[in-house]
Amino acid sequence: MTAMTNIVLLDTKAHRDLCVETGASARFGDARRFVPVIVGEFAHAAAHYPILLSKDAETGGFFCGAMLGIDEDENLFLTEGKPFETYRPLNLQRGPFFTAGSDIAIDLDNPRVGSGQALFGADGQPSLYLKSIMNLFRDLKTGLEQTRVFVETLLSLKLIEPIDIGLSFDDGSRRRLEDLYTVNQDALNALSDDKVVELFRRGYLRAIYLMIASLKQLPMLAQKKNARLAG
Amino acid sequence: MLKPVSNVVIVGGGTAGWLTAGVIAARHQGRMKSGFTVTLIESPDIKIIGVGEGTWPTLRSTLEKMGVSETDLFRHCDAAFKQGARFARWTTGVEDDGYYHPLMLPQGFHQVNLVPHWLEDEGGRSFCDSVTPQGALCDDGLAPKTITTPQYQAMANYAYHLDAGKFAPFLQKHCTEKLGVRHVLADVQGVKQAENGDIESLALKQGGEIVGDLFVDCTGFASLLLGKTLGVGFKSCSDVLFCDTAIAVQVPYAHPDDAMASHTISTAQSAGWTWDIGLSARRGVGYVYSSRHISDDEAASELMRYIGPQAKGLTPRKIPIRGGYRETFWKNNVVAVGLSSGFLEPLESSAIVLVELSAKLIAEQMPANREVMDIVARRFNEVNHYRWGRIIDFLKLHYVLTQRPEKFWRDNTDPATVPDRLKDLLQLWKYQPPWFLEEFDRLEEVFPAASYQYVLYGMGFRTAVDRDDNAQTRSLARQQMQENAVMTQKMRKQLPKNRDLVRKIQEYGLQPI
Repeated sequence: MTAMTNIVLLDTKAHRDLCVETGASARFGDARRFVPVIVGEFAHAAAHYPILLSKDAETGGFFCGAMLGIDEDENLFLTEGKPFETYRPLNLQRGPFFTAGSDIAIDLDNPRVGSGQALFGADGQPSLYLKSIMNLFRDLKTGLEQTRVFVETLLSLKLIEPIDIGLSFDDGSRRRLEDLYTVNQDALNALSDDKVVELFRRGYLRAIYLMIASLKQLPMLAQKKNARLAG
Repeated sequence: MLKPVSNVVIVGGGTAGWLTAGVIAARHQGRMKSGFTVTLIESPDIKIIGVGEGTWPTLRSTLEKMGVSETDLFRHCDAAFKQGARFARWTTGVEDDGYYHPLMLPQGFHQVNLVPHWLEDEGGRSFCDSVTPQGALCDDGLAPKTITTPQYQAMANYAYHLDAGKFAPFLQKHCTEKLGVRHVLADVQGVKQAENGDIESLALKQGGEIVGDLFVDCTGFASLLLGKTLGVGFKSCSDVLFCDTAIAVQVPYAHPDDAMASHTISTAQSAGWTWDIGLSARRGVGYVYSSRHISDDEAASELMRYIGPQAKGLTPRKIPIRGGYRETFWKNNVVAVGLSSGFLEPLESSAIVLVELSAKLIAEQMPANREVMDIVARRFNEVNHYRWGRIIDFLKLHYVLTQRPEKFWRDNTDPATVPDRLKDLLQLWKYQPPWFLEEFDRLEEVFPAASYQYVLYGMGFRTAVDRDDNAQTRSLARQQMQENAVMTQKMRKQLPKNRDLVRKIQEYGLQPI
């Protein structure tokens, strides 16, 4: 969290007239290369993006994320002035909102805050938009915990391995993507039957195969980047 | 019939005992189901001597092979990072006199010897700063990695500072719970020997006896089995290394978040040197001196002066030390590891690394039966004689190049106190700088040629340079030094403070990959 935040609990009275911009734009913070996703989003995300693991710079802990770009602060699926067409991860949908316990908080200094969707109706009741945000956080909160346990399971079964991605583009430039990890398929294939059944029963096998399948999005992402480099 | 070696008995439960138990048990895990045993007998009363809170990078692979979690080491042994040592005031004794002996090899060490190139054009930089980022990292108090670096992996090579008093119980827990080491809390009262001198069994004061095929003596200075029982003599090295007494104190941090040096600070004093080791919970500080050159009281006040205001209320603990080693390390079916095999002043933290190397050698070369044990023992003794000799040479090297005026230091430069081999090398190094090819060809040399380079050129030693000879490798050398400069800049920006990373590891832990 940068110093440029002013996070307060959402208040029916104080924030009654507050509006929030919901569109996708770099100036709203949508230009992100790697966005954390929860297991519940894997099926949606895998349809467009590679789902990989990376480490949190603060804690060193693993988390799952969708790759939206190659370079820092790059979202190749974002076109300014146009609606975001592919699946929008919850962590981008959440906009300026946070949770504080069971309450919802808002960063009043977030550039999204000002015009746009109203948070409350004329009757002072939460708007449909705010209700959708409340639902989002309900999903996100339980999802984060589920995803944490999922990642811990992968780690304890030694199913995570670093992935080395080197890309060459038509303009002659190269990129080496570091600090990314994926599922070790050899280790997966070597698991004992009871472990496999356990993974299946917990819904993890599906998540694992979605991650593996999503690797096929990597060349597509590189193509997008290539097209952008060509201008 | 051949008598198989399948029961290893270790006597003594300090760092040496538990490390040896762990290394052997981990290496022979697969044989345990067919009757291979590792038993450690530890006296319920004997206090552990916490030797050397400084370690070598080898400890990382030793612990990793034992299956120890690095995070647990940080959490339970007050561990912190060590990236080498700074020797302050060893050369001239003036305020800013000092040099680093870092743990990273000089850039491109295996391709080109940078020494003659640095000598040809020092460019206003120390040898260390010209060839490795590590001195600068230590200056900045930085950690050698980040929280995202997997456990035991490094961005800059590192070892640990740790609380030896906590390390032994930590290893004990791991060895008994994870590696199947049997732990017997009892005093050895009698030793039963066979006609050929082999130890057959140990009688315990608390009753019962322990039989074994191979006995590892980790009984510390007592050297109960090798020294007392088998009568192996002790070879003193006090004619070369004069320090015979140590006093130690634990210095608390004024604030738990105080900066923590990521290197050992070794400062020359009037009749020896002080160590200063940053653990996460406190500093370990002590003075190693020659009692022929200074009285205990004077030494104590010199130590207190070094510590400064923080010394208030601290009483130093006195530890008599005896530099030297056993004439034989492995005799009959007894092998000594740790203090029972010898002791050297902790100037280069050689104690724990010697334990690791011996334990590894015993584990790797574990004789299949009694009949081949003498062959293994002979080889073990050869290697260890070589190692102890080289370490003594290397420690002496720190003393011979000094210009300090005090009697202790003048006496140290007396040629009669310098081992012949070191004397020859010093002569040779006037014309050719040490490198790894000819001189240092032993597998697992404790101190590689790079260590000699850091000390020699850190202390102002100069080797003649042949410019024409340099021409051949000049561009490669320049490239390596440039790479080092770039890497130094990058790492200084990237790496967190030692204190901050240690705190994060305690809180979040390190990842296994």
